Amino acid sequence: MSDTINITLKVWRQKGADDKGHFETIPVKDVETHMSFLEMLDTVNEQLALEGKDIIAFDNDCREGICGMCGCLVNGIAHGPLKAMTLCQLHMRKFSDGDTIAVEPWRAKAFKVVKDLVVDRSPLDKIIQAGGYISANTGGAPDANSLPIPMEVAEKAMDAAACIGCGACVAACPNASAMLFTSAKVSQLALLPQGRPEAAKRAINMIRTHDACGFGNCTNERECEAVCPKEIKITNIARLNREFIKASIGSDVM
Amino acid sequence: MQLESKVPSGPLTEKWSKYRGEQKLVNPANKRKFTLICVGSGLAGAAASASLGELGYNVKCFCIQDSPRRAHSIAAQGGINAAKNYPNDGDSIWRLFYDTIKGGDFRSREADSYRLAEVSAAIIDQGVAQGIPFARDYGGLLANRSFGGAQVSRTFYARGQTGQQLLLGAYSSLSRQIATGKVQMYNRREMMELVMVNGKAKGIIVRNLITGEYESHAGDAVLLCTGGYGNVFYLSTNAESCNCGAAVKAWRKGALFANPCFTQIHPTCIPNSGDYQSKLTLMSESLRNDGRVWVPRKKGDKRAPNEIPESERWYYLEEKYPSFGNLVPRDVASRNAKQVCDAGHGVGPTGYAVYLDFADAIKRDGRDVVERKYGNLFDMYLNIVDDNPYETPMMMYPASHYTMGGLWVDYELQSNIPGLFVLGEANFSVHGANRLGASALMQGLADGYFVIPYTVAPYLASIYGEAGQVKEDNPAFKEATQQVDDGFKKLMSINGNRTPDSIHRELGKVMVDKVGMARNEAGLKEAIDKIRALRDEFWKNLKVPGILDDFNKNVEKAHRLADYLELAECMALDALTRQESCGCHLREESQSPEGEALRKDDQFAHVSAWEYTGFNKEPKLHKEPLVFENVELTQRSYK
Amino acid sequence: MNWVTNTFSTSIGKKLLMAITGLSFCGFLAVHLIGNLTIYGGQGMFLSYVEHLHSLGVLVTAAEWVLVLLAIVHIAMGLTLFFQNLAARPVRYEVKKAAGGRTIGSATMPYTGIIILLFIIIHLLTFRFVDKTPVEINDYSILTATFSQAGFVLLYIAAVIIVAIHVSHGLWSGFQTLGFNHSKYMPFIMGLGIVFSIIVGIGFGFIPIYASIIA
Repeated sequence: MSDTINITLKVWRQKGADDKGHFETIPVKDVETHMSFLEMLDTVNEQLALEGKDIIAFDNDCREGICGMCGCLVNGIAHGPLKAMTLCQLHMRKFSDGDTIAVEPWRAKAFKVVKDLVVDRSPLDKIIQAGGYISANTGGAPDANSLPIPMEVAEKAMDAAACIGCGACVAACPNASAMLFTSAKVSQLALLPQGRPEAAKRAINMIRTHDACGFGNCTNERECEAVCPKEIKITNIARLNREFIKASIGSDVM
Repeated sequence: MQLESKVPSGPLTEKWSKYRGEQKLVNPANKRKFTLICVGSGLAGAAASASLGELGYNVKCFCIQDSPRRAHSIAAQGGINAAKNYPNDGDSIWRLFYDTIKGGDFRSREADSYRLAEVSAAIIDQGVAQGIPFARDYGGLLANRSFGGAQVSRTFYARGQTGQQLLLGAYSSLSRQIATGKVQMYNRREMMELVMVNGKAKGIIVRNLITGEYESHAGDAVLLCTGGYGNVFYLSTNAESCNCGAAVKAWRKGALFANPCFTQIHPTCIPNSGDYQSKLTLMSESLRNDGRVWVPRKKGDKRAPNEIPESERWYYLEEKYPSFGNLVPRDVASRNAKQVCDAGHGVGPTGYAVYLDFADAIKRDGRDVVERKYGNLFDMYLNIVDDNPYETPMMMYPASHYTMGGLWVDYELQSNIPGLFVLGEANFSVHGANRLGASALMQGLADGYFVIPYTVAPYLASIYGEAGQVKEDNPAFKEATQQVDDGFKKLMSINGNRTPDSIHRELGKVMVDKVGMARNEAGLKEAIDKIRALRDEFWKNLKVPGILDDFNKNVEKAHRLADYLELAECMALDALTRQESCGCHLREESQSPEGEALRKDDQFAHVSAWEYTGFNKEPKLHKEPLVFENVELTQRSYK
Repeated sequence: MNWVTNTFSTSIGKKLLMAITGLSFCGFLAVHLIGNLTIYGGQGMFLSYVEHLHSLGVLVTAAEWVLVLLAIVHIAMGLTLFFQNLAARPVRYEVKKAAGGRTIGSATMPYTGIIILLFIIIHLLTFRFVDKTPVEINDYSILTATFSQAGFVLLYIAAVIIVAIHVSHGLWSGFQTLGFNHSKYMPFIMGLGIVFSIIVGIGFGFIPIYASIIA
């Protein structure tokens, strides 16, 4: 039923943000191809633990592709070689016997390495805190159907809202820009009538925070779109640009 | 111990408005003198933190993941119920209440379940105002669907990502409060101890999961919004960091744990394929609308499914339940799957799976129609199992999914420890012995947005003079920190040769097998013995590599497992004492002549609340009788 | 007026300046190419075009200064973005592969940009800043004299290919930055970018070859 393969893992080990870090080569024998990539790492860790060695630190949580917690570069591509997929959904059957697999953490000035493959993605939270919300206090909302929203608009907003905040866009971007992430939230809220009152302030503040966090500038390389596990499109970045232009020229926000 | 439910008097439909009208309030200027600690940032925690911050309280919110956007509420797919009656199909608050209490097999409080139904509509309003892109019809109004066998369409949804969108909505409100400074957010922290001063909850000790440091946080009330304990089964649909730690810490401090044996097993999950398996992936229940469930009639039949002729296939659900067929409720579907697999009819590499076959649906409706309905689920299955469901039947097996049990709370969501409130899946309050589909999201948000902002006020008003008096320099914090540290040092010093995962896997097998869907006295007693033996094994033979003062997942896992090993025994004990079948569970000794679940309302119409009595000591049972003044207790029948 | 500096100091603001100046250069390239095509009409037509252009007088000077200003902004912003983007990832990946988004054009923008800058300097020194007062020297003779040297022909062809590569990303990228991305029109704009870069490449690339033949 299930085959096994032997692989060589080249995994990034780094004690903390100040450590230089290095690749450690670990041969892994008899990997069942039905395993997910993270389960493969689990078995490696189980072995390391029994040998009394420090286990490979990596982030993960739901393992069903929705929480956005997992993610590393696998052989140079964020979340691995398959399209529209988080790392936890990658299975070992996509690799061949004898493969060498390089695993690296997301790298960006804004994402400090915590340990091994774990990075600090809190700057993404900061961008949301700068305006990725609608100021609607609990309790005061009008009836949900009081404002019809065309289905196409709701669907477009949902396309953007599907972002899981994993940071793969930043990791894959040659400039370590978080523009796709920022644009997804700005787009979602800009499309919906509920989000319009704060649209100008939102676009400007989120971009300023994005820049202040140390993310790079978007140069339309489209690598973000290519790796995004939720297939968020760069049309959202264009919408963000429009929102930004509108806000800068046409609003009172300084 | 007298369990005081504090349910307001008066007619059921007026209890909540009466409560809100008569409760004590906290003056706006005084709100800022109070600091509230919220542990957990899922639907309940994020909604509560945001709403309380908006009201002017100082909130400290703690999250185990690296961001509050990742809480496991995010994984809920199907939808959220609300008694809006937009489709004009006969829904009402009363009907949602009745479905909830009947679905829970009459093991929840009427007043709590009614309040849930009552505030459900406001959740949708709030979500839309936050910019949640719920599904809509062509005219731009909100779309609804029927879910989990309900006769009305009251489920709102955002594609298959409703939980994600609702959580991100709550997260956005939370983020806004973080930006204003009313909420202080602490990520990658795990609660290690509840700190009590003069018998009241006054703070917590957390461990910083990056550095391993302990931190003290004082507050005027503690809100636990830490989810359920489904991971006690090791393999479950829960995320890795879901754990029962916070609840067990409170339990050890005197909070009662109610109905721990009430866990929900979801019938359609991708089955286990080997020992390396780390989690089970849930597939939407909607698959049962068109898929036919079967196993080979011959025991141990190892032929490929397509080689088994029609006459040798056992469509056991259709045979046993001719009127409901494959659409029997979750618990019936789950239980029957286990029964046929236990009897040797199971399929797949482990023999613990049943087929869910779409061949007839494809023949009847065409592949296009099936693909349109289930395409994304089929793709997901193909990716995980490497089998094409369009050609071979899917394999499915039930998995632990949700826990209805939890810390005991009164109508105000306050546990029996003053100042300790419990919200969402972490409490026991509204779902009884079984939860309706699409009601978990509803409860988490109802508790966080619309219940706790009211019910925390009377407590705070009663301790007004104490506001902000207990600080981190109180000796109770130092003492608690010392105890936490001692506990960890003890774990690290065992130095045996088993990893936490290997012991947890074994515990999971015992729990699934003996304390899962169908139970009997002998099995439960055996389970208790096995759990005790595993606990001994844990404390003698555990190995935790690495050091404490570091990002070390093994330390986290070992610590959580110690809690599971204690709660597991209480779950088995609760199941043992509840000698009736109810909700999700079949007690094999309590069956009708046709072999169906038989509830015993005369003996067990109560909440079983367990008091912790010490390590390796049997917990003590307290009962809160359930009084039903508004609904008639009926037995379910799906024949 | 601090909203102006606020706007253009953000990453989108800087990109907007890149896009506006870049798209202006695309327009300039088109006009420049159309003018240059008069070469195929022979010496008379070419020189009359040049004369016609020079007769515009102050307008030409103004246009030149505008081009200089655009160039300064484009280069300054380009360098700023380049160095900021380098700094945004201080530790590079050991193993990194393209995932399918970037193209030769997009991946080489800063480098092709710098080469184009060097080329423009050579180009201006060759054709713009030369002493044209002697009667035997005119723009046509400079052209034929230059391209009678094989080295110049090769240099120009190489440079024009680089310009085409730069434009292949630059044109649609400019539209994207300005917010013009719509599922209906974007495929057309991206196609236009490719077609335009091919036209630029072939149009400008054949002039040195033709000039070297007629020289």
